[in-house]
Parts: sequence; C-alpha cells; structure tokens
Amino acid sequence: MPIDLSSSPAARSLALDAKPDADASMARIEAWFHQQIIDRAPVRFSRHNAEYEAAPPLDPARWPDRKAQWYDAGFQIERFLDSIAGRRFHGETFPLFWPNLGPNVFAGCYGAPLLFSDVTSWAEPILSDPAGPYATPLVLDWQSEHLAKLDGFTSLALEQAPGRYIVGYTDLHPGIDWLAALRGSQALCLDLYDYPEAVHAALQQGMADFLRFFDHFDDRLKAAGQPSVSWMAIPVWGRMHIPSCDFATMISPRQFDAFVLPVLAQECAAMTHNIFHMDGPGVMRHLDSILTLPNSQAIQWVQGVGHDKPIAKWIPLVRRIQAAGKSVVVDLELHELEPFLDAVRPQGIYLCLASADEQDELAILKRLAAWV
Amino acid sequence: MHAESPETLDTLDDLYDAILDGRSSDVPALVQRALELGAPARVVLDAGMIDAMREVGRQFEQQECFVPEMLLAARAMQAGLGVLRPALQQSDVRAAGRVAIGAVRGDMHDIGKNLVGMMLEGAGFEVLDLGVDVAPERFVEAVRTHRPGIVALSALLTTTLPAMHATVQALAEAGVRSGVRVLVGGTPVTQEYAQEIGADGYAPDAGAAVRAAQALLGVA
Repeated sequence: MPIDLSSSPAARSLALDAKPDADASMARIEAWFHQQIIDRAPVRFSRHNAEYEAAPPLDPARWPDRKAQWYDAGFQIERFLDSIAGRRFHGETFPLFWPNLGPNVFAGCYGAPLLFSDVTSWAEPILSDPAGPYATPLVLDWQSEHLAKLDGFTSLALEQAPGRYIVGYTDLHPGIDWLAALRGSQALCLDLYDYPEAVHAALQQGMADFLRFFDHFDDRLKAAGQPSVSWMAIPVWGRMHIPSCDFATMISPRQFDAFVLPVLAQECAAMTHNIFHMDGPGVMRHLDSILTLPNSQAIQWVQGVGHDKPIAKWIPLVRRIQAAGKSVVVDLELHELEPFLDAVRPQGIYLCLASADEQDELAILKRLAAWV
Repeated sequence: MHAESPETLDTLDDLYDAILDGRSSDVPALVQRALELGAPARVVLDAGMIDAMREVGRQFEQQECFVPEMLLAARAMQAGLGVLRPALQQSDVRAAGRVAIGAVRGDMHDIGKNLVGMMLEGAGFEVLDLGVDVAPERFVEAVRTHRPGIVALSALLTTTLPAMHATVQALAEAGVRSGVRVLVGGTPVTQEYAQEIGADGYAPDAGAAVRAAQALLGVA
C-alpha cells in the first residue's frame, strides 16, 4: 500500500560505512511515525539504558574525579569509537554519538550544581530563597560550563563523524522535571499547593528557554547535515524530541492536567516528531492525557523491573496505544519476541532487542519481514 | 478511650479533618483547644492525628491521594506535634518504636525515604533519618548507638540495589542483625528481592510501610 508521507520533512541522505542501508532505515522509521510499514517493523538491536550498565573505571592518574571523566570529550568519543569499531549496524541500529552530561544538564545550565556518579549525574536544588522559592528569577546561563562543554563535545564529534557515525543532541528534560531538579521534588510537590501561580510562571519561563536551547543544538547539527536524534537513537529528518515527565509518577491526574500537560503540549507543538518517554506504571496513570498531546506520534513504554519487566504483562497497554492511533517503542528480551509477535499487530511497533550476535540479528530481521 | 465531652470529640474530629486536608495553619490551634478541653495528650495523638495519617496512608495505597497530598498531611501532623510534644513528654507517652531509615549507598533519592519517615512519625514511631547515600557501616553504627527496632532501607535505582544486600550482610557481620528488623522498599525493590537478601519486611509504598513496621514490632 503506498504510504503518504507528504507531510513529512524532506529526507536527505546518510552515508555511513558501517550501515549502507541507513537511508532505508530512515524511511522505515518515518513510516513508523505514521503507523505504517514499508517492508517490516523497525527494530533496534540494543536494550533501553544498556549504556548505563557498565561504567568506565576511574583512573586517578588521568582524572581527579568522575566529573573530569564525564567532561573529557576526547575520552568519551574515543570510548564510543572503540564500541563501534568493526561493527555492522543492522535493523534500525545506528552508530550514534550524543553528548552526555546526564539528564539534568538543562537544570545545570541555571546554576544547579551537577554531581556525577559512575553512570549518571543529578542536580542539587537551588531554589530555596527565604523570601519565597520563586523570588529569584530563573536565568539560563548561556555561558554555563555545561553548555560550553556540550558545544565542545558536539564540535569534536562532528569533526570525526563523516562516514562513521551520526551525531545527536544531549538528554534534555524541560518542563516540570526541570523545575523539580531546581527545586527538589519534595518541595515542588508542596509548591503545587503553596505557590501554584509561581510554578506556572516558572514553567513558562523554562519552556521558552528550552526551545531556544533546543534550537541552538538543532541548528548546529542540521548545518552539519545531521538528522535530528538523541539518546533514544531514533533519527528523523525534522525535529525529533523525547518529551517526558518522571515527576508525574507522584501526582494526581488532576494536577498533571493542570501543571504538566500545558507545557508538554508546547514542547510537542514545536517539534515535528515526538516520542513520549513513559517511564513506568506511575506515569502510565496519565496515559489518557498523554495521548492528547499534539504532534506526539509515539510512546516509548518503559515497563520497569521485577514483576513489571515481562512485556507480556503490557500487551493490553500496547494495543491500547495502537488503537489510539499512536506508535509504540517496546523493549523486550529475545525469548519474548515470538509470543509478542503473535499477540500484537506490527503497525506502529518499534522493537528494541538485545541480540547475542550478528547472526541473531539477521535471523530476527528475516522473521520480522514475515510479520505483516 | 476516655469518655470525652461532645465538644472535645468535635474538636478531635476537626483536628482529624484538618490533618487529612493538609491544613497546617489550622492544626496547632485545634491541638491546643483539645488539650484545654482536657483531652489527654495520648488521645489527641491517637484519635486526632494518628488516625488521620492512617487514613492518608489508606488513600495513598488506593491512589485516592498522591505524594503532594501526603506531604501536606504530614506537614500538618508536624505542626500539631510541635504543640503536642511537651504534653506527650509530660504524660510519658512512648513511641510505637524506633526506626533508623536511610537511602542506601550510592542512592541520592530522598523523597520516598522522606515519605516513609513522615508516615512512620505520623503513626507514632520515633524516626532517626540517616539521610541518603548511607554506607552499610553507618547503618551498623546507627544500630549500635541508637538501638532501633527497625532499620528501613530505601533504594530507587537498580544500580543501588546491591548496597541493600551489602547493608544486611554488614549488620550480620557486625553481630547486630538479630537485634533489629530490616524493612526494605523503593521502586526496583520487590517482595522476592527482599526475601532473597534476607530482609524481614517489604513495603511497596509509604502507607504500607507503616503497617509493615507495626507488624514487625508487633504493635497496633
């Protein structure tokens, strides 16, 4: 069936030595955003958050602390190049480098101290003015060391990228997650009752800043012929964003609709492609509202650990999202694949799978070609 | 319970409602009024405050209220305790038990731990908050120094779960394990994991944590 992608941004061409079928993958991804299939459902051969499972050792002769290691652009790119050396990238798996200083770097650019551990970083809250937590204006520091470092990462990555890998932008969490990083989640929970108007005003301020921040990196990457892509490794020719709201796991649907939904709608409206990162059952509580977001074509479902990990438990959720006209990114184990294919129709499904080796990957691709 | 006057009972009902609704500014005056009407401190605590927090815990478990509402109620409870504490001390009211609580080594998330601590205080427990990123040795030291009946461990990341196991082991190696009950909780924690590491109890949320703590110490 012919696919009408006339509303999609004009495609360019990706030349990647380790992935000669990159353009075909980009077309497959674009079709997926429209719940359509060209020849098979897209599949990425990696696990959600796999990059957090092994931290590089901290050599004290080279770095005084973890922050120095995170900030070492040469080391981080060298480590990335080692990880892709000799690999061929099958399915919708791309050699992708994105500058990473942790999920709270946007808050860090407002002066919140960033603390670095081996696999992540977090921001220390700064909004605690005795005159009122929102008395001091929130100002995005365009001279921030973190922003400068992200620019440096981007420059160095772009220099070495041609033919080898694509370059994305960093992990951005605007909106109420940004405000929670600056204020502290516990304090922000009370602010929703104690300072509702100030919270609304701060969120609007932050959203305006975020859109400029996004544009800064988007402009640089587009000028270098790069697609739009971040940590989820799903590139598009357009403006791709990953809206999310981890804070939502703590609040009622009423408060989600009042405080979170309006700014999420603004985020999504400014982009061409949005995949909402729905992190666990706590956020799933707000699915009805999330499904109303404009320009939000897809949801990434992150089911959690323990009892929540088996994807079979979430088949009804996947079907519900598909029925609402949205696409779904699902993370599953190899042994879950066959039952999943039996239970769900392929339109709108983007699979994330860890595979044992290249032979496994090719076999999976062959299997997915028959799943129509 | 004492046979309180109708006016006292109405005041205790108002106090219960004020805590349930998170109206911190109303609570101190209501506590003071109840005491002036002759209600024993223990009765004000149990009927006016702990009962209200128990209802908050129930509502939280049923998803009828959420974290902001629980925090509001806990704040209101604290406002009341500020007025009630001298009377409690004079009447020699004892805590339901003592709990040392902390987020395990490597875990900087505190809101879950804080909620549990507040709900435990709301249920009449004495809570010793060790903070976040608490090494196993600090939990051991807290047990030696303060002799809590329960050590409550919180972890929000799968990467910090091993520190929960390490803490249980450290308590055993220090020879203090048999004198304390270990209660665990946090997003990645499951009943199965709690059993696997030798914990005595598991709670999926702050409301359940109170009941788990009460069961572990055999208190109502």
